[in-house]
Amino acid sequence: MAVSIHAPRINNNDDQVKLIALDVAIGQKVDRGAVIGQVETDKAVVDIEAPAEGYVIGLQAEVDTMVEVGSILVWLGESADEVVPAAAAVETRAGQASGAPTAKARLLLKRHGLTADQVPAAGERLTAEDVEHYVAGKGGRTAQASGSPVATRIDRLPDVPGALRPLRPDERGMVNTVSWSRDFAVPGYIELEYDPQPWDAYAKDYADRHRLMLSPLLSLMAWRLVELARETPALNATHVGEQRYEYGEINLGFTVQAGETLYLTVLRNADTLDESGFVNAQGDIQRRAAGHRLVPAELQGATISFSSMARWKVSRHIPILPPHTALMVAHAVSADGRHVLGATYDHRVLNGFQVVNTLRKLSKPAVPDRKKENTQ
Amino acid sequence: MSLNQAAIEDAIKQKLIQICETLGEDASDLAHDELIPASGLIDSAGLLELLMWYESHFAIPLKPEEITIDNLGSIALMAEYVIKRKGQA
Repeated sequence: MAVSIHAPRINNNDDQVKLIALDVAIGQKVDRGAVIGQVETDKAVVDIEAPAEGYVIGLQAEVDTMVEVGSILVWLGESADEVVPAAAAVETRAGQASGAPTAKARLLLKRHGLTADQVPAAGERLTAEDVEHYVAGKGGRTAQASGSPVATRIDRLPDVPGALRPLRPDERGMVNTVSWSRDFAVPGYIELEYDPQPWDAYAKDYADRHRLMLSPLLSLMAWRLVELARETPALNATHVGEQRYEYGEINLGFTVQAGETLYLTVLRNADTLDESGFVNAQGDIQRRAAGHRLVPAELQGATISFSSMARWKVSRHIPILPPHTALMVAHAVSADGRHVLGATYDHRVLNGFQVVNTLRKLSKPAVPDRKKENTQ
Repeated sequence: MSLNQAAIEDAIKQKLIQICETLGEDASDLAHDELIPASGLIDSAGLLELLMWYESHFAIPLKPEEITIDNLGSIALMAEYVIKRKGQA
């Protein structure tokens, strides 16, 4: 029975990877565990290993193209003359008829809801350029050839004179975020006002005890969110296919404004820290964000997030969900002193009751409740 | 760069005023021995900006454990810490 080898997921934010090497040929025998190729994202290169011994009977992707995570790259058979399963045969390189789409073209066709027979091929095979040309001719948008699957660009320049300007990394991140939110999430928003006194008192006591220069208030609130996510795994999850994907670690996203740059810093494995360790780590990452000294790993992989716009005295802000997250808490303090905790949530993962319940718990420190529990 | 305490305090005060202005606050009356975090004029993000400037302007890389109210809590303390770190106290 034929065995398929799929494109692996390297990190949670990349639904596509680049196939940079495919070191096998049709008919070649491979051993179980043998490295048959490599894929990469902007952050890492990963070997692809054969899950079983077998003969290569089908190659389904081309080197130097972006492939969907989970898509089939290679078919292995028990013998060299085994045929690729019928459902996949139409897509195999060996069985391609004239005009069959390239891997990248197939991705674009899928993204635009098109079929290969709708798009004329300029050459022997249907290419990504053919699809982009076709979509452009329809006045629509085309996918970026090498970017995120959700990143899009306007295909036609406006008629008004102007100049194209490359995006900074943080601006590209913002595009990816809002595009993911538009294309995949089903965002809802809920907010409630809360009494700030318990949190202010708790943060002041904490700061006095630790002689802190910087207020730990927001870090302490973010820590409370981590605790709540530990208690309720759905808060720290996303939706994939028809299932909920609950993360095995809590990577806390936290927005930091550094000049004109807005960072979503990511403190990984926040659930492994205690309160003090978390506050210290948050302080450190915030300070390095302010100095634009973060490393890439600290800017990706958020599984749940916290954002505050208290400094801007807005009465409300509705954040966009970072990719593959289901909850971002939004803290605000209006000019007239109203304290608000809001949350943008992916309605595919969470319902309103769960979010309200979370915000209510988050609206006060855990310690008073624990003391109360201890006296009962 | 002058390591005169008064000159350092003035430089810190000017930067503090500048940051507070972006937050819609006027820090010109802030006393040099007044605790900055308790003044209500500046938030944590503003303090971070002040610290980043402080490290850069006076060439004093700060370790996390140095960022305490006792070392850097007021304009005067911040200036004293510059001199202390520069070994001229």
